[in-house]
Amino acid sequence: MVDVSTAKVTVTPTEFHFVKYEAQDIIDVVTELAELLGVANPIHVIVDETTPLSKLASEADGTSSDSTLTLRAESGALENTKRFTHFSAEAARGSLGRTLLRAKDRLRDDFADAPGDYDLTLAENAAWDTYCAGRLSRMGVELNKQRWRYNYRNRFGFSDDCDAAFEQLWSADGLSWAELAAER
Amino acid sequence: MRQFFPVEDLARDERFVQTNMAERMKDARTTVDIDAATAKSRASSNRLTPDRHDASDGARSLMHGIMVGEIQALEGAGRTAHDFAAGDGSGDTIPFELKLDMARQAWDEARHVEISVKLSDWMGTELGQFAENTVLFEAACSNDPILRLAGVNRALEGLAIDVFTQMKEFGNLAGDPYLEFCEDWMLADEVTHVKMGSDWLRKVTANDPDRRKKALEFQQVVDKLFSFGGARGETDESPIGLARRFRELAGFSDDEVDTISKMDSEALEERKEAIRAFHAQADAQPTPA
Amino acid sequence: MFHYCFQTMGNSETDTQSTVRAPFAPWDRRELPGLFDVDDTARRVGNYKWTEMKLFEALGGWIATVPELDIKVRLGTHCYHHSWHADIWHKRLPELREMKPERLTVPANEAMERFIEAMTEPEAPELTIEKLVGVYRVLIPRFIAAYTYHRNGASEITDAPTIRFINFILQDEFDDWRDGEMMLQSLITTADHVRRASEHQAKLEAIMVEAGGITGPGSIGTSVSTSTEGGV
Repeated sequence: MVDVSTAKVTVTPTEFHFVKYEAQDIIDVVTELAELLGVANPIHVIVDETTPLSKLASEADGTSSDSTLTLRAESGALENTKRFTHFSAEAARGSLGRTLLRAKDRLRDDFADAPGDYDLTLAENAAWDTYCAGRLSRMGVELNKQRWRYNYRNRFGFSDDCDAAFEQLWSADGLSWAELAAER
Repeated sequence: MRQFFPVEDLARDERFVQTNMAERMKDARTTVDIDAATAKSRASSNRLTPDRHDASDGARSLMHGIMVGEIQALEGAGRTAHDFAAGDGSGDTIPFELKLDMARQAWDEARHVEISVKLSDWMGTELGQFAENTVLFEAACSNDPILRLAGVNRALEGLAIDVFTQMKEFGNLAGDPYLEFCEDWMLADEVTHVKMGSDWLRKVTANDPDRRKKALEFQQVVDKLFSFGGARGETDESPIGLARRFRELAGFSDDEVDTISKMDSEALEERKEAIRAFHAQADAQPTPA
Repeated sequence: MFHYCFQTMGNSETDTQSTVRAPFAPWDRRELPGLFDVDDTARRVGNYKWTEMKLFEALGGWIATVPELDIKVRLGTHCYHHSWHADIWHKRLPELREMKPERLTVPANEAMERFIEAMTEPEAPELTIEKLVGVYRVLIPRFIAAYTYHRNGASEITDAPTIRFINFILQDEFDDWRDGEMMLQSLITTADHVRRASEHQAKLEAIMVEAGGITGPGSIGTSVSTSTEGGV
């Protein structure tokens, strides 16, 4: 792994073969996001360019401000959907923004009980995604709220009660894991 | 107005960006395991069902694909109503009643565009958000009207039956009050379109076995193209299943569906082989210091 | 014996009431004469069929050439409407003693052919205004006029089928005209758009005037002055 930037944000791979991404573009987006979200930790982004899917995951190797946050993204999450295999800063902002927010949440004491991203249930994922997307949107990152409402409905149901729960999560801030994962 | 209309000239507003099969197949990434040892992030099945982690985004992307497909089907039906004079079906004439059926199909496809646009909105997708593959209209570009029937009314509409069945099941499992309802209505129309194609192909080539043979060969070529490298198939490696029951209702014989299934498997294997070649090429490149 | 049974079974007033009624109820004011005999009607119907065919072909062909998504979709719907009209006329012709409908499926005259050529000439994606003007500000109003004249002049008794079909078709024509006019008003937003629309309309109207209308001269009757006392 080679550090291709200033100290804080690094990307693996440094060169892409299956997609036309540049590591520096990813670094630029994540650096901008870190500033926006108030994250000072070192951040390492790992992109799986062998799949066009868009799964995302985050880890933190501790809870201090020195802990490295690792953001994993399948290449589809950063892709320009109008020009396949090309990078989209807008898509990356949305995807990596949510993932970075999750990583930041994991630094909190009241998220100590949160399962790893790969162990979350589909419902827990959808709830956390909604919570992150809402905060990101309020910070000025352009997101399609209906997309996240539809995602939430697919997991929790198509009803007025579920829509109300979605709105609550979308507008929330400062939740603990227990509050986020509460029965809906 | 020109008699025949090339795919490059399809009129779109600035939201839409077009691509083609050649470009899509250059993508070296894959969702299938070309090597059993390679770990993929999804469960063993590629089928588009609500229990996939990327179900919502997968459904949205497919719905957008349906929408642009319907736009092209509408354009194709309209062109076939226009491009051929009414006659006895020889040369580049088509029976008057076939022109009427094409106009009727244009109306049906117009409604499908409207439905898909509304569903895209429901799912949080913007028009033109995804690149539009023009391969569907290309199946409607032949100068021989019989090849158009084979390419569009049998191959393309057959694919539509598969896709709508998948989306209908998705909507049912997810409890989506609109998706299943709408997909079922569109499915009913597609069964009609396939039947139109089957009936007219048979009638117009009743005394021309060579022309019929050529049409069926063309249909097979298009069927394989519409497998999209194995994205449609009977195994769980394919996101879209082959809808045997609805195809049977539409007049496909068991033999025909078996042939399509076989071609889908071939397309998948060819795609895996191409991906292996891409990977080998990538591995052979020197690693940066 | 039979008469006796009748008398003992019921009220004598209703048993003897006559069932004779006028064949035309007092409110049925339909008259026998019409302006068009069988051959005249068949000729007009053939012209209608030809023109509706040309119209649905044009609308179908234009779908792929128009970038505006709502208009693209609307053209698909209208293509079907006019194909249905052509089908109605196709089926009517044998009922008017024309066993080979294609024989009468012809333009009224050479000017009508030129009209259709001029109407379908615009193809480029930036010419949506011209395409719609030709149909919705020239041809469809002419259809409405010709169909209205025919419906009003046909014999309500001998040619009830043609009148019935025209009534259904006219509903589509009015609806399609309205759709088209609204699309045009939404597209024509600058002085240049107005100029383009007017010039194209004028060009097509001139050819249509030469043709005399969809069925040629007499498409909507003649404007020879009649006695102010009216006639039979």
